[in-house]
Amino acid sequence: MEFIREYYFDFNVMSDYMSPILDGFWLTLKLSILGGIFSLIWGLVLAVLRQLPGKPLAPVRWLTIGYIDVFRGIPLLIVLLLVSGGLSTLAAPIGGDVLPDFIGKPTWFGETSPFWYGVISLTITYGAYMAEVYRAGIESVPGGQMEAARSLGMSHSQSMRHVIVPQAVRRVIPPLLNDFIALMKDTSLVSILGAAEVVYVGRQIQSDIFNGSGLVMGAILFLIVTIPLARLVDYMIGRQQARYERGIA
Amino acid sequence: MSTEGGSVVPTTGELKTAPDGSILGLHEIRKSFGELVVLDGVELTIKRGEVVCILGPSGSGKSTLLRCVNLLSPPDSGRIVLEGEEITGKGTAGLDFVRQRVGMVFQQFNLFPLKTALENVTLAPETVLGRSEGECRKRGEELLTRVGMADKMHEYPDRLSGGQQQRVAIARALAMDPHVMLFDEVTSALDPELVKEVLDVMRELADEGMTMMVVTHEIGFAREAAHRVVFMDGGVVVEDGPPSQVLDNPQQERTKSFLGLVLEH
Repeated sequence: MEFIREYYFDFNVMSDYMSPILDGFWLTLKLSILGGIFSLIWGLVLAVLRQLPGKPLAPVRWLTIGYIDVFRGIPLLIVLLLVSGGLSTLAAPIGGDVLPDFIGKPTWFGETSPFWYGVISLTITYGAYMAEVYRAGIESVPGGQMEAARSLGMSHSQSMRHVIVPQAVRRVIPPLLNDFIALMKDTSLVSILGAAEVVYVGRQIQSDIFNGSGLVMGAILFLIVTIPLARLVDYMIGRQQARYERGIA
Repeated sequence: MSTEGGSVVPTTGELKTAPDGSILGLHEIRKSFGELVVLDGVELTIKRGEVVCILGPSGSGKSTLLRCVNLLSPPDSGRIVLEGEEITGKGTAGLDFVRQRVGMVFQQFNLFPLKTALENVTLAPETVLGRSEGECRKRGEELLTRVGMADKMHEYPDRLSGGQQQRVAIARALAMDPHVMLFDEVTSALDPELVKEVLDVMRELADEGMTMMVVTHEIGFAREAAHRVVFMDGGVVVEDGPPSQVLDNPQQERTKSFLGLVLEH
């Protein structure tokens, strides 16, 4: 029992390392927010591409479906390693200097390359997840909405933009938030590239002083954000349910 | 009704305005869904200003026919000629041509739920015709007033009754200045006490000379507002004539038995 208290909940360790842990968590938040925003946008683009009408655009639909299948089906860790390895190599002499450094080894806005590899990989992977959520939302909008818009002379893209997507997005805000929670937890994988987010910091403390309290502190910080988000999702689903029951979609 | 915009479908030599003054001609229209033949060679011409009510048992193809007219559900074969222009087989040009001239009102209203009544009416003229916001708003207010919705312009659809929603839907279709209006069982989803307010709006439109194709089960409306009644069954036009003839003195056995069933209760 004493071991558990000391190894996991040593408050002295937590307070001694509070500053680097908070710095790490700040990086976690930045990864989550940037990755989240880009995934939301990229996912919507993918979902709309997937719904393009007509025979000539079938190749676009197939490519989009292929992309979504691939990146939903492989671990984020592999994407992280391939993105970081590929980009950095292409910008190095060994890769033929194909890419300029500011793309291959990006340090935009003062953040490190591993940070940006993380944002890119999260966007690639979570864009695919979110595309599926958006698709469910688009498909849940009654077909009569598209027909009404088209019958008024609006094109497919005008109908999507003004009629279908606004309704779809409202319906999928809760599941998108769920994906955001998952994305936030997965930012921890970016530590493998050396981005000093909260798990990376916790591991360093662990290996320096053989104590897991830094990691526990990190876990607590995650919970401070994710539990309220989960409650928010529940609340929104409950409210939506009530709206459906009143017959409003 | 204005006719600005001009033709987007190129006029070829053989496609002239029909000499009989028809605004809409449907010729040999066929449509199947898989094995199921829904329209089996429909012939129908409609004159400018004519109100044509289409009756028939469910599954007779009458709603599908309406959806063929504005190419929401394009026919497998056959020709549709609108104002002398063939719209079938023209791709997007045909779509644009027909949808800006033919308005449609649906059984389920299909109002846009995130937009107010007025926004429902102004959306298409703004985005499709590129008219100014002020112009669309003014016209939208006029149209909503005309359908008796002046005091509900800024309400969202979920705050409106079915009859009110359907009247907004009619105003929304009229905002595109259509030359022909299609009504697809527009009172079937309404509570009985709300049917009249919608039919009254349609009657006024008919009186003003709007060309209308009305798929309906309202025999009373067909009798007093229609110039012609068309009875469809099995994907073809079975009987076609003035209401007094088709409704009161039907020639075909199928028309008689259908009217017998409908008028019984």
